[in-house]
Amino acid sequence: MADAYVIEAVDLRKVYGDIQALNGLNLQVPAGSIFGFLGRNGAGKTTTIKALLGMTRPTGGSARVFGLAVNEPAASVEIRRRTGFVSEDKDLYDSMTVADLIGFTRPFFPRWRSDLEAKYLRAFELPGERKVKTLSRGTRTKLALLLALCRGAELLVLDEPTSGLDPAMTEEVLQALVAHVSSEAMTIFFSSHQIAEVDQIADRIAIIDRGRTVVSGVLDDLRESYRRVQLVFAGDAPAAAFHAPGVVRVRRERRVLSVLCCDGAEQVVDEARTLHPVSVNVTPVTLKEIFLETVVGAED
Amino acid sequence: MLWYKSWLDTRWRFIIGFALCVGGAWLAVFGYPRVTRLIALSPAVDVTTEVGRRLHDIVELSRGFRGYIWVQWFRQSMVQSVTLLAILLGSGGVVTHGGGELYTLSLPVSREQLLYTRAAVGLTELLLIAFVPSLVIALMSPAIGEHFSVVSALVHATCLFITCAAFFSLALLLSTSYSDVWRPMLITAAVGLVLSLAEAVNPTVAQFGVYKLMSGETYFRFGRVPWPGLVVALAVSGGLIVAAAANVSRRDY
Repeated sequence: MADAYVIEAVDLRKVYGDIQALNGLNLQVPAGSIFGFLGRNGAGKTTTIKALLGMTRPTGGSARVFGLAVNEPAASVEIRRRTGFVSEDKDLYDSMTVADLIGFTRPFFPRWRSDLEAKYLRAFELPGERKVKTLSRGTRTKLALLLALCRGAELLVLDEPTSGLDPAMTEEVLQALVAHVSSEAMTIFFSSHQIAEVDQIADRIAIIDRGRTVVSGVLDDLRESYRRVQLVFAGDAPAAAFHAPGVVRVRRERRVLSVLCCDGAEQVVDEARTLHPVSVNVTPVTLKEIFLETVVGAED
Repeated sequence: MLWYKSWLDTRWRFIIGFALCVGGAWLAVFGYPRVTRLIALSPAVDVTTEVGRRLHDIVELSRGFRGYIWVQWFRQSMVQSVTLLAILLGSGGVVTHGGGELYTLSLPVSREQLLYTRAAVGLTELLLIAFVPSLVIALMSPAIGEHFSVVSALVHATCLFITCAAFFSLALLLSTSYSDVWRPMLITAAVGLVLSLAEAVNPTVAQFGVYKLMSGETYFRFGRVPWPGLVVALAVSGGLIVAAAANVSRRDY
């Protein structure tokens, strides 16, 4: 089953001095998926990506990409040969022109797609003779994307691909990604703290917090299994503890008791009725609510 | 193509340094007739002091073209300028310099490959800086009716290149620990200054000194190529580059 997952991390750890950047992260990214990697700033998303691409060394646990161990230098080179990458800062060589940078990158990748290069040069309207340092943030993002997409990669790793872009440019980049993945057999693994864009294009997600995976799965399944059960009482809501499986969080505010559960709502509703509320409502939850309750709510 | 990135990162330092050295060689050759006239007019030097003895040595050596070129060019101008250029060419983050750190690291090459390419490009530039101006001296000398042999120029350039390569390699090693240009540059320059001062005040140190080796003094005075010193300098340089490769491969970015 190892090949079923393009990326697989088990109990991955990374310590920088006193800072535990990754704290036992587990991750499984199936081949062909568009995988959204969600977390707040500083949650460990970039560290995870750097560890997967051999830019930083894990201090514990294991991670494999294409079944290759990320901490073995020769395997790491092979992983990068088969992976396209866009960094958060779209950090490219400022002193080169767009054409120079494409020409520089091409020889490193035997499966370089000249057809895609021509296609995206036109579609993104990239000025070949302009120096990279003179490009706007949006154009630089498009160039970084072209350089990643043309590698003939099986995996595309994008670290906050739309950070700093205006909504129109964000939409253009996301549409380009979706169009690309629909025509090419590849896996996209992208990190973000923009829930809307993950919701828009991802089919699977993982949410990480403080270096650990707190939620992971198929996005539609998560939407299906997560429910909010809202109980309204005649007086102040009781301080109840729920024993049903899958209870993620319970919030009490005056007459209202709100229970977020991740494993269906039936057992929670049964338990709730024993508290004799005036009303019981079960509502679906959005990805944003799941994110806020599992990450931000975890601090409460 | 990694060489192209290294070339872009270092090209202006190289081009400016190369042009200055070639121009300096030209001026050294065509300035000789003027120097001979000045020496004829110079008063006698008091040789009872160490400084006087050194000045006298310089004046006496400069009476002949071969001695003049060695004293003025290979022992002074080139020793100082090529050492400085070696430090400049070796300084600057191997992965981080010129932007695009993560882009470089995302390429399917090992970090050792990055380091060795950077070292090869820098050493090639240093080689050109050491050899081309030296050959300019030999080739331009007939234009003023003098002669400086090509073999001598090549031997002195070899001494310069191999010894300065050690400074280059030290700066390169430090550049794998510091992401800025300044610290590797300043620390290596400080090492060079300390060695220079030690040679200036201590005759025993000067006997085996790096700058004496760099100027090819034993070849000039006795016709002996300083092979043991050159082998040691090569070994030091190679060791520093290997250490730099080990350092860059274990770093987190």
